Amino acid sequence: MIGSEEANRQPVERRPAATVMRLARLGSLHQSRLSFMRILTRRMRDENWTFSRPVFRVDDKGVGHAVYSAHGPQRTYSLIAFAHDLPANQRSDRVIAEAWDATFALFDGVPSDADIERLRRNIPLQEAGRVSARELSVSRANRSVRLWEHVVTALASGRQPDPAQIAAVGYLMRTTAVYGSGKLGAADRELIADRPEFAEPFQSEMLTVYLIRTFVRDLVQHMADTLGEGRAVRLDADIARSLGIGNSTGLGMAPFLLNHPQLFNNWIMVREEAIARVRGVIEASTDEIACFRDLLAASVRSARIWHSEHPIQIGKLAALQSDLDLLTAHVADFDFAKPSPWDRLFTWAENSLSLEGHECLASLMLEPYGSLIDGLSCCMSSDTAPHRIDGSMRLSEAQKHLTDIFGWALEIDWEAREHCARAWYVSEEKLEPRLGERFDEPIAPYEQPLAPGRDAASLHQALQAWTGGTTVAEFLLRHPEHRHTMRRLQIAVHAPYAEIRDNTISADVLPIDMLRCKLSFFGAIHFDPRSDRWVRICMFGNAPYPEELAEGDADFWPYPDLEDAGKWTGH
Amino acid sequence: MDRSLNEIEAMSRRAARGAGFDWGMAEDAGKAARWLASHGLPGPALLADLLMLNDGIPPADLAPVSLEDTWRAPSGRLCPLLAGAALSDQSAKGKVKMCDVSFPLLLLPFAAAAADHLRRPMALTWQGVRVGTDGARVQTSGASDLVTTAHAKNVVYAPAEALNDATTPSVRGEVSADAWALLSKLAHRTYAPATEASRLLGAGAGLSDND
Repeated sequence: MIGSEEANRQPVERRPAATVMRLARLGSLHQSRLSFMRILTRRMRDENWTFSRPVFRVDDKGVGHAVYSAHGPQRTYSLIAFAHDLPANQRSDRVIAEAWDATFALFDGVPSDADIERLRRNIPLQEAGRVSARELSVSRANRSVRLWEHVVTALASGRQPDPAQIAAVGYLMRTTAVYGSGKLGAADRELIADRPEFAEPFQSEMLTVYLIRTFVRDLVQHMADTLGEGRAVRLDADIARSLGIGNSTGLGMAPFLLNHPQLFNNWIMVREEAIARVRGVIEASTDEIACFRDLLAASVRSARIWHSEHPIQIGKLAALQSDLDLLTAHVADFDFAKPSPWDRLFTWAENSLSLEGHECLASLMLEPYGSLIDGLSCCMSSDTAPHRIDGSMRLSEAQKHLTDIFGWALEIDWEAREHCARAWYVSEEKLEPRLGERFDEPIAPYEQPLAPGRDAASLHQALQAWTGGTTVAEFLLRHPEHRHTMRRLQIAVHAPYAEIRDNTISADVLPIDMLRCKLSFFGAIHFDPRSDRWVRICMFGNAPYPEELAEGDADFWPYPDLEDAGKWTGH
Repeated sequence: MDRSLNEIEAMSRRAARGAGFDWGMAEDAGKAARWLASHGLPGPALLADLLMLNDGIPPADLAPVSLEDTWRAPSGRLCPLLAGAALSDQSAKGKVKMCDVSFPLLLLPFAAAAADHLRRPMALTWQGVRVGTDGARVQTSGASDLVTTAHAKNVVYAPAEALNDATTPSVRGEVSADAWALLSKLAHRTYAPATEASRLLGAGAGLSDND
């Protein structure tokens, strides 16, 4: 099998970082089969995970708690959900708030009553609460008021909710944060990183959201049953499946990609390697071509129901829809029989489609090739060991790398106001990252190190006075202010996709590009920016619920109303 | 209080930045405090004390004058973070002598980075204390009450024999309430006071978030 696959491939190089690592392109990435949600559902299906609900104690007002356990081959993880009765005036999606409709923790194992009581005293407090190394994540969510009321009322009166209203919102609750990695005292990533089920990034967070979705479906049914007093009907399984968990993602997440250059490199590198491998396929099989065609058709439908009120996204959506029409027409006459069809298609798209369409095609091309690329996903993580600076490196070599990696930044006049108009800072009020106007607000003294391009140009300037034979150690002893950038530079020497090759503090920088990039790796679709710095998404919409995993489509669920769903599963 | 290592690192990094270190050194300070805490050593508390001691003093006064011969600071007080960073950067194979080092235990994470890079155990000695590390593990011997001393006249970094009876890192850290409060106070300096403009725009106003 492997032998025949290798014979059917020719080497294609990964795209250069200068092409890939531009903000406009990163802000146009789409989910793919390497997305973290899909990695999770595939794993749970392949390993025959089972699920149970040992506790569901919620009263008539919707207050109480429930436990959902996911049983993997070696370990069990449990979502502990606390449901609250929240007055409408306290509901806010801002990450830092005081009260939520529901709060959650993912527990390592099965919680005892004492664990639940401990968490009941802490989880609803959020920032003021403390959790322990037994908790892998902490989260909270609010209802979509309009859809929640509609669904409860409809079910209680014996009818199904209106599909148009379901489609317009897409979720019954949206999370405002899913914290992992030691936040609020939870387990550090290192504690679980060697477990196979958490080998890929963000798997415990994705599992949390997956189980939250199940809880939310059960809670809305419970409320309808209570209200309906015997008249209520069960929520239709297809409608339930179409619902995901909403998420509002703001600036808190934008610096993540800049603060984790090695990890970010690994995500992009794996995606680029996957694209290169598929481009290298010499001959595509009938099944592979049919799979691609089906998913392209599903993508066309999906793009039509993707709505946004934000002017930038409206423009990008129009481009994507037109791209997909062009692509569909092109594929209709495309000669897949000639060698290297994917490479030819990809090259055509590069010159014919917008960034949205080109990156959408990149993700689509990967779909038929699970056996060729899924194994790459284990390379998407990165250990968090400190990166030691190699002080023996000569400055001449550092200078050369600086020019190679940050050449784009050396051409920018960083004194010009439009090129340094913004500054990233952390606000005293919310302790969250913010983006401000450097020349209008007193924020420059508080600036976070989130402008690698400018800092690289500054290092370049400082190096001019030093002879090339001097070592980095000697230079940094005199110039500790360049230590951060020198470390980044040395990471990027071995991690070509570590650095975004654009100005992250310019007057026209769009933080939503960074958010979209990260969320596409989570597997989000239908990004809906609500300003230039926060975005609404939906997670696990259309995914099989736990009891549907074995029979449902654990792989291609992000493509809504895919005809004959499951046909390509296990491909 | 029991803390996650990420919490310890993030708080220590912000505190070091708040105390005037540039971001690169602040990152090393965060990693150093985390590493020590994972070995059950009071890294965060020593860091807090160091930052208070040197608050407002320019790094150049506290860094080694030269990496030749014995390392000493112009001010007569060598900062273990600045010296440690140079030690890790250089990853010297041989002996390095240092004079008048504040909180010498804070050198250990940097010696560990060097040991890890060199793939051989290295040891720090001062005033009858000897602390060896191969990068991942720690072995302490000698005058235990001086391990956390605030000042050492002479510190020597040198190759060590293979470790026995060494501690391996834990996945959590303990930080005293006093040390955490001190670090929090310094970290607070890195937060920008809220203004009306930042409330409105900093996180991106735009459409309602409650529908």
